[in-house]
Amino acid sequence: MPVLSRSDPSVLGRWWWTVDRWTLFSVVALIGFGYILVLAASPAVAERIHQSRDIFILKQVVFLAISGALMVGVSLLSPRNIRRLALAGCALALVLTALTLVHGVEIKGARRWIALPGLSLQPSEFLKPCFAVVSAWLLTEAGGKSGLARVRGTVAAFVIFAMILALLQSQPDIGMLTVITTVFFAQLFVQGMNLAFAGMGVAGMIGAAIGAYAIFPHVRSRVTRFLHPGQGDHYQVDTALQAFANGGLLGRGPGEGRVKDLLPDAHADFVFAVAGEEFGLLVCLLILGVFGFIVLRGLLRLIQETDEFVILAASGLLTGFGLQAFVNMASSLHLIPTKGMTLPFISYGGSSALSVALGLGMLLALTRRRTHGDPS
Amino acid sequence: MPRMETVQVTAPDLARRAALERSGQRLLLVAGGFALLFGAVAAKLTAATILFPLAPSKAETAPLIPADPGLATPDSSPTIADLHQPRATITDRNGQILAISLPMAALYANPREMIDPVDAARRIKAVLPRLDEALAIARLQSGKQFVYLEREITPSEELAINALGIPGIYFEPSEKRRYPLGRVAAQTLGGVDVDSHGVAGVEREFDKRLATDPRPLRLSIDVRVQAVMRDELEKSKEEFKAIGACGIVMDVNTGEVLAMVSLPDYDANQFGETPPDDRFNRAITGMYEPGSTFKLQTAAMALDFGTAHIWDEFDAAHNIRIGRFTITDYKGKHRMLYLPEVLAYSSNLGAAHIALGVGEQKQRLWLGAMGMFKPIPIELPEAGRPLYPPVSNWKEAATMTIGFGHGIAISPLHVVRATAAVANGGYVIQPTILARDPGDPIPERRIMTPATSDVIRKLMRLVVTDGYGKKADVEGYFVGGKTGTAEKVGAHGYRKHANVSAFMSVFPMNAPRYAVYFMLDDPQGNKETGGYSTAGQVSAPGAGRVIARIAPMLGLFPDTEHEAQIQAQLDIPLEPARGSGEPTGTGSPLLAAAMAETAAAPAAPPRHPLQALRHEAALIVSTRQADAATR
Repeated sequence: MPVLSRSDPSVLGRWWWTVDRWTLFSVVALIGFGYILVLAASPAVAERIHQSRDIFILKQVVFLAISGALMVGVSLLSPRNIRRLALAGCALALVLTALTLVHGVEIKGARRWIALPGLSLQPSEFLKPCFAVVSAWLLTEAGGKSGLARVRGTVAAFVIFAMILALLQSQPDIGMLTVITTVFFAQLFVQGMNLAFAGMGVAGMIGAAIGAYAIFPHVRSRVTRFLHPGQGDHYQVDTALQAFANGGLLGRGPGEGRVKDLLPDAHADFVFAVAGEEFGLLVCLLILGVFGFIVLRGLLRLIQETDEFVILAASGLLTGFGLQAFVNMASSLHLIPTKGMTLPFISYGGSSALSVALGLGMLLALTRRRTHGDPS
Repeated sequence: MPRMETVQVTAPDLARRAALERSGQRLLLVAGGFALLFGAVAAKLTAATILFPLAPSKAETAPLIPADPGLATPDSSPTIADLHQPRATITDRNGQILAISLPMAALYANPREMIDPVDAARRIKAVLPRLDEALAIARLQSGKQFVYLEREITPSEELAINALGIPGIYFEPSEKRRYPLGRVAAQTLGGVDVDSHGVAGVEREFDKRLATDPRPLRLSIDVRVQAVMRDELEKSKEEFKAIGACGIVMDVNTGEVLAMVSLPDYDANQFGETPPDDRFNRAITGMYEPGSTFKLQTAAMALDFGTAHIWDEFDAAHNIRIGRFTITDYKGKHRMLYLPEVLAYSSNLGAAHIALGVGEQKQRLWLGAMGMFKPIPIELPEAGRPLYPPVSNWKEAATMTIGFGHGIAISPLHVVRATAAVANGGYVIQPTILARDPGDPIPERRIMTPATSDVIRKLMRLVVTDGYGKKADVEGYFVGGKTGTAEKVGAHGYRKHANVSAFMSVFPMNAPRYAVYFMLDDPQGNKETGGYSTAGQVSAPGAGRVIARIAPMLGLFPDTEHEAQIQAQLDIPLEPARGSGEPTGTGSPLLAAAMAETAAAPAAPPRHPLQALRHEAALIVSTRQADAATR
């Protein structure tokens, strides 16, 4: 990193001195872990899907590099431009998500992907950060400062939210739906939602969860398997837990793990188990700590923030990011029913890395130190 | 006067500050929630890695090198025994291995863990060319959790497949049953199925024992004797173009079967591919009319029950016509014959008259006590059920024909057992396929007086010295025996020119040790036998050769020094004088037992005392130590 003078008036100079460098470094550390684990998990996966191992790894290296650049690039933007980017991104992602229902690639019974040359894109991944920013904007200042305007904005936010819900449940993508719902709810909660409403919201989500259990057979089977360990096929979870057990405190050593050969999703949903087996408890705690640090530090820093839009947008982005990490790690540890969700930057996958980079770039941009009344 | 400063705050600003404050509290709550969630992950992570790690799966901890079944002992390491205990080895009486389990591995898969079934099958096929690839792919795509791909792979194949590193592929220890001696005692040993469960012979009878107790199972078979018997049977079978042959060597004092051969036979390792006809064990499953060998029984029962004496004469001059049958003699003497002559010249007419004298009830009592109405009680599941007339049809005609061994069908081992009983001093013994340890009690019961047995031994010797069994004699071994030629029963009654020719011998007659049964199924006479296919011509020579070869192996040496002296003890005149020889016909143990049974059960519904004892099970079983010297 070149040393930048505090008085450097360039865009990069101002960025360097105003951006949240702790968060930035943490994300860089995560990308570093991502590189190491893709090296660990990928050879087995590449062989399994008959791809050249080098190309497989190269792809992820390129994706992570692009993601890093995307994050820095986005974090250079002003809050207003972030808003514009989010609006455009949200609209595009909505259209593309709707398109998946028509032209989607069906993988394992769900239409979530659009085939692009080089990668399959999951547009709903990009919906998550963009909607967090858009909803924050609609909830706070979209229609102006008057009370009526705020109500209008709130209604608009709910309408878009309802559209997203409808799209995601017809894909179906219950995981993404849950995350977006939780993020939106967290934003309303932080905004100061009446506690009675909050209670109703929680009740509604529980009701929806029960509904999903009743309607979707794959949800039911996963929950049943979680609640009754003796029943059904626990192969994935057992193998993952065995991997953690094999790893112990310090791990078996890089490349010595077996779980990557046994689990088809070792490079994505169960990458945390690969980390546990090869690098052990300490490194896993370190990864967990980095995630926790980013989320908690971000949320706590927002307490000092005075801009309501920034508070809501950033808390939404952080909640989404933290929830995704939690669901992935907790699934592979059998703390919650298995839910296929990637571990940001650590799991293999282009869509995932790019969308997380977009979200974190927005977060970094919004949380940059600004002089009071900075109009930008 | 202090200056008062007032700060004016507008109402919307106040509301905004209040809202911000509330947001701050809410953010704290959200942060707290995340702290809880991540804390839970950290706790579970610690538990899963170091506090309560999941035990490794059994497949991972299984030893890669299978245990050596030959070295397995009951006190071997329990972990290995828990995983897999090889089936016990079967040996002959001298410890020669007859059946052994080689360590193999079974290759199986969990298709649910399989990532690419087609690729997996292709790669395994490269290592294991005998794999049916299409079948393997079908199994791997079945969606089950357990499919076998190949039941028997060698340890080196296991290593090679393991090295492929295909997820979802596992091995379990298995074994392959091998019979290193191939054809030796194939029918007796039987075989096992793919799961190593016995399906025939000793393997089936002792299945549980072989599966649970790793100590070798020692059979009574002596492979040397077995080989000699098979060799001689094979030669005779070729010589006389017989369709089959059967030979048995049994210790007359202990009931141990030293050899049991049934031809045609097969390589025991090819059990599964062998036609049922070859797997047929003639010695215990085959039911044949015993023919003239049965005359020994008729003579013994008549002497022991006292219905005939050694000096009695029987009419062999006139054919007996009864119903549509005519009983005749083969190369008959056409005169009155003394009892020894009836045996020496194998007179059907004489035997019929002797049997008539005994009567059907005592005949049935005797034959029942000899176990002729039940499958032979040897430890083999193939023991067949004898065929005999029902009591309602067992009248004069049946009594007479059964007297010379027709109208009843029993297994060769039945004949051996009954002959051993008349030769060993009068004990009917339970035959066994297991080696008896010295000192083991021998299940047996006295069936006749020693005096009767003595006379029969002399008569058996007489058949060889002066009768039709001359060709079985071996110098110095004092062979005794009886020929038996029975016409085979075909679809339409007796077949005139199809014989079962057997020679039933015991040696040495002065102190009997071994019974040797030698039978050819449907032999054809040749120039040397003058076209005859009778037992004296085709079977007696084979029996003699077997005795000459096995006796030295069994530690018996020809006693030529005292030959004249010993032969003198065994001599019995063909035409004994009235009242000569040892007195017989008093104190029959069978009759005594029948009387005791009637006396002991006065309240029982009236039934004939002899009928009550038709079956040997009801009779007293005495035990005594195996002490051949005393007999």
